[in-house]
Amino acid sequence: MEIAVCVKPVPDPDTRLRASPDQRTLDPEGVKYVLAGYDESAVEQGLLLREQIPGSAVRAFAFGPAPRAPEILRSCLALGCDSATHVAANEPVDDPLVVAAALGTVLGSRPADLILVGKQALDDEEGLVAPALGALLDRPSFSSVTDLRWSPDRARFSFRRSTEVEVERWEAPPPLVLGLQQAWNDPRTAKLPNVLKARRMPIESVPAAPGAAAGRSVPLRFDLPAPRAGARMIEYSTPAEAAERLVRILREEAKVFP
Amino acid sequence: MVDFSLTPDQESLRELARKFARSEMAPRAAEVDRTGRFPEEIYRKAWELGLMNLNVPAEFGGTGLGLFDQCLIVEELAYACAGMTTSIIANCLALEPILLGATPEQKERWLRPFCADYHLASFCLTEPSGGSDAAALKTRARRSGDDYLLTGEKCFITNAPHAALFTVFATLDPALRHKGITAFVVPRDAVGLVPGREEEKMGHRASATSTVRFDEVRVPAADRLGAEGEGFSLAMRTLDQTRTPIGAMATGISQAALDLAARYALQRTTFGKPIAEHQAIQAKLATMAQQLTASRLLTWLAAWTIDGGARGTLESSIAKCFSSDAALRVADEAIQTFGGYGYMKEYPVEKLLRDAKLTQIYEGANEIQRIVTARELLKRYA
Ligand SMILES: Cc1cc2nc3c(=O)[nH]c(=O)nc-3n(C[C@H](O)[C@H](O)[C@H](O)COP(=O)(O)OP(=O)(O)OC[C@H]3O[C@@H](n4cnc5c(N)ncnc54)[C@H](O)[C@@H]3O)c2cc1C
Repeated sequence: MEIAVCVKPVPDPDTRLRASPDQRTLDPEGVKYVLAGYDESAVEQGLLLREQIPGSAVRAFAFGPAPRAPEILRSCLALGCDSATHVAANEPVDDPLVVAAALGTVLGSRPADLILVGKQALDDEEGLVAPALGALLDRPSFSSVTDLRWSPDRARFSFRRSTEVEVERWEAPPPLVLGLQQAWNDPRTAKLPNVLKARRMPIESVPAAPGAAAGRSVPLRFDLPAPRAGARMIEYSTPAEAAERLVRILREEAKVFP
Repeated sequence: MVDFSLTPDQESLRELARKFARSEMAPRAAEVDRTGRFPEEIYRKAWELGLMNLNVPAEFGGTGLGLFDQCLIVEELAYACAGMTTSIIANCLALEPILLGATPEQKERWLRPFCADYHLASFCLTEPSGGSDAAALKTRARRSGDDYLLTGEKCFITNAPHAALFTVFATLDPALRHKGITAFVVPRDAVGLVPGREEEKMGHRASATSTVRFDEVRVPAADRLGAEGEGFSLAMRTLDQTRTPIGAMATGISQAALDLAARYALQRTTFGKPIAEHQAIQAKLATMAQQLTASRLLTWLAAWTIDGGARGTLESSIAKCFSSDAALRVADEAIQTFGGYGYMKEYPVEKLLRDAKLTQIYEGANEIQRIVTARELLKRYA
């Protein structure tokens, strides 16, 4: 089975973020771009399916400018993806329809049985690439997918969609486009030797189709969320749990200690 | 040309170590420091990620990194918890004599199965009667047919209660001093090898330390490392390799102390302004930054020298001694910056001071490092 996973370079939440001087985008100066959030689940899910289905390959695709897109493709290779393709853009593009068009053009000529994406990107959380890819490639698409499994005897995928109000169970044959909410497991961490090996692996680079940028939306203004003031309640069931959460908040958010 | 930038490979391995240190080690550091529990789940994960047997070549299942790359990793790990780092890098210390002195057949026999799974190893040199004067060690190795019988006691041995493999230094005859010392590799299940009770320590409480008793432990001659009498040189060459990472560990502690102190100084106000605006505090932070930067650069210089094929005894003794002295001072100033809170266990800075202290003592106490430095130095004037 051919599994394509599309990933987006997003700002490392641990780096210092600020608006660009023209207040239209994030200032990329000093920001590290990483594979994160639901995209990690998409990669993990692809790798889990490959373990389950003999003869499968997981191919990673990222659209965006260098070096940030090739960098996260290296992360995908370190995690175990079989190949990586950089759909090269000259500048960062966030418009999900443009992203879907650029990826769709490349994926259209390399038929995959399954296209996995994160249900939404960690940074802009628009959640449109999966449905847009489905529409462009004329394939069924689903978002907020969890618990994705392959039943070999029925030659179908089964999965759930969890929304605010319901849990749906689905079954569908390939080809499909799925926006992943969560893999079966927590995403794996790349091992050091594989990280180093991935640095030597080739990354294919293809230019984004001309016109991919047409009709893109223009951001009017970009602000970082204002720091929230006031009290914050910690929910807990045992005192130990309360303490653990408080410590985590102090460490990871307030950064009172490392 | 001098170039202080890291290669993309080095950036990646540092990033991996940083991520592991901050997401897996740091959240457990305070708890483990308080209880003294041996956090084996963290060590196992470090092994899984390839952060454990850093100096063992990939052909034997290790990570196969040079000393510079090892130091980048050790600094990141120690930033989160020096005690866990001691246990993680104890394998490098214990396996280094094998890398330096074993035959290809022995390496195959010991290293491959050891590295293929999560295992800990212990380096057994120090004895109750003395560590600095290693040539005076008393553990005896008596020849008995094709075997040796080891009898004696080692102390302060890192990971001993949990180790699967021990590299042991014993003497054929104490009167021979360093010429009698011979190294052996002994598995945990050898009859008569008995690790003692875990010591209660001031710091590095995530790491286990105990005595190891050898009671007529039978070791086949095939498990001797190098020739009879080569053990002392093997131990010294091992320490030439492993003392530089102690400089990196101390650097990681200093970096953690500076980060905490600087952040706190910007938040804490007295006399109507953040204490970071008081010049006395600024001077502290500046001095801490000087000590930290010098530690890192001396460590990098020693590692780079050794990676270039030189023995690097001078550079590594300077790096280890300076960085560990610096870590103690930097941690001390971090506590001072925190004032009374710094003295409280609820805040993470007092642990840094307790952890820093060990880096002045083990892998050759700093008094010994100064002797070594002076000896190497004076050779150049003689
Ligand atoms: C937590 C911990 C973990 C350790 N792990 C290991 C391990 O895994 N394996 C292992 O083999 N050892 C280990 N050690 C032992 C450590 O390496 C020794 O403690 C160290 O080498 C010092 O030896 P000593 O304690 O016997 O002190 P001594 O040698 O008795 O020295 C006492 C003091 O005298 C000073 N001194 C000694 N000789 C001289 C001299 N000629 N001139 C000036 N000053 C001198 C020393 O610097 C020290 O300050 C560990 C120690 C600790 C505390």
